[in-house]
Amino acid sequence: MADNLSAGPGVTVIGADCSFKGEATFEGSMKVEGKFEGKIQSKGKLSVGKAAQVSADVTAGQVHLEGSFKGNLSAMERIELAASAHVHGDIRAPKLVVAEGATFVGNCHVSPDALKAGAQGSEFVVPMAATPIKK
Amino acid sequence: MAQESARHRILCPRCDAPQEVSRQAKSVLCPSCHRNIATADLEIDEYCARIEVFTAGRLRVGKKGTLIAEVRAEEIQVKGEIKGPVRSRGLVALEKGARLFGSLACPRLRVAEGAQLVGSVAAGPGAAELLAGTGAPPEAGPGRAAG
Repeated sequence: MADNLSAGPGVTVIGADCSFKGEATFEGSMKVEGKFEGKIQSKGKLSVGKAAQVSADVTAGQVHLEGSFKGNLSAMERIELAASAHVHGDIRAPKLVVAEGATFVGNCHVSPDALKAGAQGSEFVVPMAATPIKK
Repeated sequence: MAQESARHRILCPRCDAPQEVSRQAKSVLCPSCHRNIATADLEIDEYCARIEVFTAGRLRVGKKGTLIAEVRAEEIQVKGEIKGPVRSRGLVALEKGARLFGSLACPRLRVAEGAQLVGSVAAGPGAAELLAGTGAPPEAGPGRAAG
C-alpha cells in the first residue's frame, strides 16, 4: 500500500485546515490531514496524516495511520501504524504492521479470521490483564 | 573499542527493585522481594507450559516454540507462539508468523506483516499517558463484552 496518497483523481482529501464532523463514504482513497469526527465506511484506502486528528469508527479496505486516532478500526485487508501513530481504540484486521515507536492502546484482533469472527458477533477475548508498566 | 562493563543494572521483574549484577550471573536473589531472578537470556524453541517465565534478560521464542505462561522480560522477540499476559520493559518484536494471544504491555512494539495478535494491548511511548487519560485498562474498551 502506498504510504502517502497523493491528491490525484479518485482521492478525497480533508486538508490540514479542515474540520469534518459526520459520516463519510468513498470508493477510491481518502486522506485525512485535518480533523475528522464521526464515521468512515469504505472498501478503499484510508490514510491519516501525521498532523491529523481522527475520532471515528472506521471500516475500510486498507488503513495507513500516521497521526492521532481514537475509535474502533476495522480493515478488510490491512492496517499500518507508522512510528508517529497514536491509536486509542480497538483494531480488527487480517493483517497488521506496526512500526517501532507507534503508540497503541486498546483491544486487538489480528488474525486471518478476524473479520469472520467479528461478523459472527464474537467479542475480543482477553485472557488476563498484564501488570501495568512502571516507569 | 571500549570494553563492556563487567556489571550491569537490572530491575526485578516482580517488584522492580534495582540492583547491579555481574554480566556472567545466570540468576540472582532480589534484595527487595527475596525471590530468585533469572538474568540470563532465554530461548524457547519447543513447547513450554509454565505458570510464569520471568527474566531480567531477553526472551526469544523461536519458530517452533510455543510458550504458555505469564511472561516478563526486558526484551522479547517472537517468531513462534505465546499464550498468556506479556510485559516487557523494552522492545517486543512480533516477527512474520508470530502468534501472541494475551494482553501485552510494553514501551516499544514492532509487528511484522503476517503476525497474529489477539488481546488487549498497551504499547508505545505514549501508552501510559493514554491509559492515564482514561483511567481504565485497555480491556474495558468498547469492543469487549462482559464475562
